[in-house]
Amino acid sequence: MAKITLTVNGEKRSADVEDRTLLVNFLRDELKLTGTHVGCDTSQCGACTVHVDGRAVKSCTMLAAQAEGCEVVTIEGLAKNGKLHPAQAAFTECHALQCGFCTPGMIMTTAALIKQHPQPTDEQIVHGLEGNLCRCTGYLNIVKAVKHAAELQKAK
Amino acid sequence: MDTHHSHLFEVGGAKLARLEDLRLIKGEGCYAADWALPNQAHAAFLRSDRAHARILSVNTAAARKAKGVLAVLTGEDAVKAGYVKPLSMLTFAGKDGKKASIPERPVLAHGRVRFVGDLVAMVIAETALQAQDATELIEVDYQDLPAVVSPRATLEPGAPQLHDNVPGNLCFEQEAGDAAAVEAAFAKAAHVTKLRLDVTRVAPNPMEPRACAVAFDTASGKFTVHSPVQGINMMRMQLAAYTGVADDKIEVVARDVGGGFGQRSIGYPEYVALMLGAKTLGRPVKWVSSRSEGFLSDSHGRANYIDGELALDKDGTFLGMRIDWIADLGAYLHPAGPVSPMRNPVTCLNGVYKTQALYGRWRVALTNTAPVSAYRGAARPEIAFAIERLVDEAAAQMKIDPAEIRRRNFIPTDAFPYKTPTGSVYDIADFHGVLDKAMKLADVTGFPQRRAESEKRGMIRGLGFSTVIENSGAGMFPKDEIRLEVHADGNITAYSVSHSQGQGHETTFAQIIGDGLGIPAERIKLRQGIGEQGLIGNHTGGSRTIVGAGTVCHIAAKKLVEVATPLAAEQLGVEPSQVAYAGGEFKSTASNKKISLGELAAKKPLVVTGEGKFGSTFPNGCHVAEIEIDPKTGVTEVTSYVTVDDCGTVINHTIVEGQMHGAVAQGWGQIFGENIVYDETGQMLTGSFMDYTMPKAGWIKDITIAEHTTFGTISPLGVKGMGESGCTASLAALTNAMMNALRPLGVPPLDMPLTAHKVWQAITAAKKGK
Amino acid sequence: MYSFQYRKAKSLAEAGEVLAKDDEAKPLSGGMTLIPTLKQRLAQPTQLVDIAGLPELAGIDNKNGVLTIGAATRHADVATSKAVQDAIPALACLAAGIGDPQVRNRGTLGGSVANNDPAADYPAAVLALNAKVITTKREIAAADFFQGMFTTALEPGELIVKIAFPLPKAAAYCKFPHPASGYAMAGVFIAQTGDGVRVAVTGAGASGVFRWAEAEQALAKGISAAAIEKLTLAADDINEDIHGTREYRAQLVKVVATRAAAALSGKK
Repeated sequence: MAKITLTVNGEKRSADVEDRTLLVNFLRDELKLTGTHVGCDTSQCGACTVHVDGRAVKSCTMLAAQAEGCEVVTIEGLAKNGKLHPAQAAFTECHALQCGFCTPGMIMTTAALIKQHPQPTDEQIVHGLEGNLCRCTGYLNIVKAVKHAAELQKAK
Repeated sequence: MDTHHSHLFEVGGAKLARLEDLRLIKGEGCYAADWALPNQAHAAFLRSDRAHARILSVNTAAARKAKGVLAVLTGEDAVKAGYVKPLSMLTFAGKDGKKASIPERPVLAHGRVRFVGDLVAMVIAETALQAQDATELIEVDYQDLPAVVSPRATLEPGAPQLHDNVPGNLCFEQEAGDAAAVEAAFAKAAHVTKLRLDVTRVAPNPMEPRACAVAFDTASGKFTVHSPVQGINMMRMQLAAYTGVADDKIEVVARDVGGGFGQRSIGYPEYVALMLGAKTLGRPVKWVSSRSEGFLSDSHGRANYIDGELALDKDGTFLGMRIDWIADLGAYLHPAGPVSPMRNPVTCLNGVYKTQALYGRWRVALTNTAPVSAYRGAARPEIAFAIERLVDEAAAQMKIDPAEIRRRNFIPTDAFPYKTPTGSVYDIADFHGVLDKAMKLADVTGFPQRRAESEKRGMIRGLGFSTVIENSGAGMFPKDEIRLEVHADGNITAYSVSHSQGQGHETTFAQIIGDGLGIPAERIKLRQGIGEQGLIGNHTGGSRTIVGAGTVCHIAAKKLVEVATPLAAEQLGVEPSQVAYAGGEFKSTASNKKISLGELAAKKPLVVTGEGKFGSTFPNGCHVAEIEIDPKTGVTEVTSYVTVDDCGTVINHTIVEGQMHGAVAQGWGQIFGENIVYDETGQMLTGSFMDYTMPKAGWIKDITIAEHTTFGTISPLGVKGMGESGCTASLAALTNAMMNALRPLGVPPLDMPLTAHKVWQAITAAKKGK
Repeated sequence: MYSFQYRKAKSLAEAGEVLAKDDEAKPLSGGMTLIPTLKQRLAQPTQLVDIAGLPELAGIDNKNGVLTIGAATRHADVATSKAVQDAIPALACLAAGIGDPQVRNRGTLGGSVANNDPAADYPAAVLALNAKVITTKREIAAADFFQGMFTTALEPGELIVKIAFPLPKAAAYCKFPHPASGYAMAGVFIAQTGDGVRVAVTGAGASGVFRWAEAEQALAKGISAAAIEKLTLAADDINEDIHGTREYRAQLVKVVATRAAAALSGKK
């Protein structure tokens, strides 16, 4: 067992977990933050994307123990003071989600993407979404949403 | 019944953000794996690692002793419980009046395993990891048997036999059409086009992996099953049939469903095994599938292997068409699996054409592979693919413009309602109008110039299209019901069986009800998957929902006003005839008094149930694809994709466009990469997202979407349904574009998927051949 | 995943000791290959020794004509490092194309090179640039380091500390990713060095990364796409699977080599 302490959505959280516990399982099972999803087991789909120390990572490919002392932000912690993050607002405004299962991962990836590229080109968007799969939308509205999210971020 | 060709929907319609979005973008959805039942235990399955073998023994002793393990169940337990025979909806008679041979499938394999991924044992433990650990301690002694994975080889004499009660691995055979008329048509044909038209096996792959949590209440003998569904009734019916447990002792619960595409419409053996586990243990049991398990054991789609022939006269008039169709259903039959390929192709066997002589033979074959069931379109894309490929090749062979050959054979716009040779009635359509609009939008006249320009850059360009029709599902339940419950605050809860897996029912249903009541859609909250409501209704599938449940939303809204009017009159102290309803309020025409729906509901519960039964509608469309191939790598880019669809009245354009995007992407996926491949021994070679090519962002750059509406006559809303049409049209449109590009090089018709690798090989071989 | 003990190493020395003592222990850096492998239960280590945060493995340094990158440097940091972009832009570009953004935010240079996946990108750069792999025990020349698929010269307990890339005059990398996995089906790194042109190929070799001698000779006379277009890569030692025949992969090597050469010659 490993004792881990990390900050999740601004709150310090501690737990004893099996060493083999993945970060995503820690978030979902221990902290009941079920907004982070698991869509595959080969690190391809990105549904589990969260931010660790400000970077988008796949929480299914990281041990909870590796996040010791880190700042983790999940989809539940993205909106601030009841105000949606631009990526969240853009996804609904552009109809960039259908079933919604890939959406938390897509939004977390988008949030990191527009931080890195405040005015992303189509190429940067497509390149930036390489680690996220969606089965419903054909991605057309997702690409639009990323662009729109950048605009909303700028307008803030 | 009033006819309601409303354009009202467009007012709020296109602008309305989806009502379900807020919780989903905040991570507050509730998918199957998100259920945590009190005191739940966790299950893991041991699956067969071989395609065909006799099980000589299963030793579970070590697993039972492993840390945290609570129970280990095997095929013996499944047989003892009698959980051995899934429901089959293949109940109709086939050739010579013969019924289907339905194989048994104990929910945990007994005696024999028949595909890689077949369930051998279930371990239940305190944690999921403990259960997974313990599956490895189970020792299975197998005696390998020869396996067969090819759908054509499995029907050959001498092929390994899968089930004792299915001789020759042939479950069912049927014919449709008029063999003699077709014979005569081919005899007088000036030209015959013959093609192999295999529509390969793919994985539906909704992004949410399967998951299921089952609770059993010993006192009442009731199971509560939490699983992803397309509709709770369909799921409950199958679980009841598999277990013999009465319908009212099974409650199916579902909230958000992470994509479906047909894959959710099955009462899988895993779910039934979990029921057995929960009952045995007296504790809730939960299982969450990994994607790897999903590739092996989720229902696969398509897998229809078709040979087709088209007979034409010298002017390109279609005289007759003949097809020979093998549906590969895998090792066992999913309940509705074989029904789609037996029914849907027959319904639209003539496509959009007035071809009179049609004949087909269909065979349901078993192979040592994962069972197959409906996948977005459910054999509608296959028959459309077959017809539209034949038509296109015939046009090329006869040097007739592919649009012109279609126009010559279209059912004329003034011929509706049109009775087809196989007995369907197409209610209304305008194929000429659809095609003309599509040709214009795709700038077909500018294509030769674009092709020349590509050639200058060393690229190969092609343009192709398809004109297709499909039948929306009529549904297997006797009717669709929608219940409306008015609350004191004037808000309304609507209940539906038909369950969204992403289609946005919460928005479109609310729009229809809101439109019917003259109140904002935001005031209507749709709840799906609520078993205790006891509603009758179909699941979401076969593009039927807007026609069935959607129309009933309208009916229920009208009924609510009807039922509430006398109640309002009583409150207002006037006769019902003196009451006028508008915008959520009843007004006395005799005085200025009024009472709102909410005020009425505050006095007395105000609940109505609308119902209706609607048959198939016939959405149709034309999709035009333009592609460019890099001959150096075989990589294809779709440079333009145009859709013109007639899905009747559109309730919400944004949602319709989204459905089209997704369906075209799935068609794109199947044509350019997606393919489930088994080796000869039945091992899957494409069992993860590392090897199975899912479409990714940017691969489809743009889709131009247009509507060409004729209002359907089946539903008073004029709707026709549209969730699947993007798949139905895109398989043929994309392939026709590819062959348009490759044909001049001497490349013969290619089987899907047209991967870069295959295209490069074909170009290389054609160059060598020249 | 099987059970294992996770251990965060406090120093490189401690990590080396633990790994040397326990054959079944494995070092954990970014974990982008190791963790998926564990999840598939394809490996059963006793311990994972986390070396990602060790200061000895950090840092990017450009001096005396050599760019040195610490083994624990993440792909994203190589891609966005000003020092790397200035010194060997092709290397930054290669790193920016590995996997996907989330993978680049965790995966490390040392982890990738030590794993020597035949379809990984970094080995092509290490070999083409004639880099030195500096380990806890010694310096290993690139040519000696890669010893076939998933096999390297590393001994048990030996860890990569950093990799030293001599600065080339110019370099370019181009790859053809597999559409599903994103791994290279063919990747070619061309480096113009003081010792001539070096061409390393990843993704296609039946025994991992290799140098393409004919291409090096052809380009020695001058870098141009045309020089590659004339060549045919023998398909004998090329990898074959359901995603591509030998012949196809050989063709892809040529295509991406042509593109890399075109980029180097300033002509597309």
